[in-house]
Amino acid sequence: MPRFNIRPYIFIAPALIYLGIWIFYPIVNALVLSFFDSPTGRSRDYFWVGIGNYSKLFQDDLFLKSLYHNIIWVLLSIALPVVLGLLLAVLLSGRGRSRLMYASIYFIPQTVAAVCAAIVWRWIYDPSIGPLNWFLETIGLEGRPWLADESIVLIAVNMIGSWSYYGFCVLIFMAGLQNISPELYDAAKIDGAGALQQFFYVTIPLLRNAIIFVLVYTIIGSMKFFDLIFVATNGGPNEASTVVGLRIYWHSMREGRFNYAATMSTILTIVILVLSVAVIRQIVTEGEDD
Amino acid sequence: MAYKRKPRKRRSYNSARLMQSLIIHVILLLFVFIALFPIYLMFNAALKTSRELFQSFLTLPTDPQWQNFGFILNEQGYKGALYNSLILSTSSMILTTVISVLAGYGFAVYRFVGKQWLFLLVLTGLMVSETSVLIPVYQLLQDLGLLNTYAGMILPQAALGLTFGVFLMTTFFKDIPRALIDAAVVDGGSDLQVLRHVIMPLARPAIMSLALIEFMWAWNSFFFPLVIATKQWLMPMSVRIIDFMGRFTFKYDMIATTTVILFTPILILYLITQRSFHRGITFGALKD
Repeated sequence: MPRFNIRPYIFIAPALIYLGIWIFYPIVNALVLSFFDSPTGRSRDYFWVGIGNYSKLFQDDLFLKSLYHNIIWVLLSIALPVVLGLLLAVLLSGRGRSRLMYASIYFIPQTVAAVCAAIVWRWIYDPSIGPLNWFLETIGLEGRPWLADESIVLIAVNMIGSWSYYGFCVLIFMAGLQNISPELYDAAKIDGAGALQQFFYVTIPLLRNAIIFVLVYTIIGSMKFFDLIFVATNGGPNEASTVVGLRIYWHSMREGRFNYAATMSTILTIVILVLSVAVIRQIVTEGEDD
Repeated sequence: MAYKRKPRKRRSYNSARLMQSLIIHVILLLFVFIALFPIYLMFNAALKTSRELFQSFLTLPTDPQWQNFGFILNEQGYKGALYNSLILSTSSMILTTVISVLAGYGFAVYRFVGKQWLFLLVLTGLMVSETSVLIPVYQLLQDLGLLNTYAGMILPQAALGLTFGVFLMTTFFKDIPRALIDAAVVDGGSDLQVLRHVIMPLARPAIMSLALIEFMWAWNSFFFPLVIATKQWLMPMSVRIIDFMGRFTFKYDMIATTTVILFTPILILYLITQRSFHRGITFGALKD
């Protein structure tokens, strides 16, 4: 047994204190606030309402809609940039130095601030002067008011997110693929595995760590995103693209209903936690079955 | 052992293989185009007059409107916003990096009671977003009198990247051969000496990666500054752009110019230091 040593604690103390003040204390405080309400706007004369805020929340159609949109966003982000990133990484894996160049270029949109991406794409999507409709009409298709059509706005905004995100996925998967030794593929080939079988029985299982990471990261990112949608549509038209982050911002900063907004924050934290743990456990137990 | 080596088959470039390779190239290049085309449009819109832009957005500008940048920076007062962005990102980068290096040293080099749990506690910070902590953070800043101050903008921003930083530094420092550290300790080196003369030189690329990523995050950050800096003189570039959009919705050329001003410093930084960026981002994902 090493004797008690104070020094490691001194080194990690700044980080713990800092996270304590700005992350952990706020999380707990949001939970506490969610059980109280205040008589007027921003006043802090709190009174206990128990689960009052929660029961209000689950009758708040707009909140439920926004939560639903976040979940759709998670699914779209997995279906598009994550899957695409994996496929591109596999296509690149056979290449020599040029694959680094490709990956570098794919990553560039990730360095564009969400605010900038939203502005540029608002223009690309503009129904009257935007390049997208111009292009569609040139090849004989019909253009649409992408960000003003309730039925497609969420997908249209997700495309902006996917545009900036797929390069990130390529990078992670590419690094994961580098750790797979080529002999495994040779062995699979000798056993008569085709390209698809190699992909499902060699690539996917061995990329488990990278896949867990990307999925969890995608879930967290999809649940909390704000910037992109705030600038691109601000939740519109007719709240067809609203998300929880926007509701929190609206109720707290615009309406001053801090306790109600804190209740949403708490729900958001819980959903993120549950989904992330579910993904990690699912994939880890699947791994044990092999 | 009698073992006859088969002559290696020469790669045959029959038409099927050629076709396959061609398709792969087309796909890879298509996504190069998808990645870069909106960025090309952004720069193009910034450098064209509105009139020329509406005629065609594909062609290069015939008469680049460089004065747009001067107009935005000087006459519209965006120089100040750029300066605010620089203060915000530099300070929060330094803060996060220093605290992360210290914590990484503690976690990677020592064994101590509660280490696993404390590390796990730090990691849960990854799951926390600005929107989850907005209200308590806002009230805390209010109580401390830090709303609409630089400190109020910097302190919570630095916390957002801290979990990633501690994680990254710990995983990197663990890779440093134990013998080097022990040798330095035997020679009578104190913790800070070990950190400075053994760890820092070996982990410089890692620390560099962390600093760059944190800088980029803070530079591109939007939510906390939007809420905390409501006075125009304090707004960083990302928030000022929105302010601008409200007032000149249809001046695409001017709005594009502001986005180019926000994006270009990060683009240049990324192009110079791609490897550092990539190392930082992939390392976190693949070590467990």
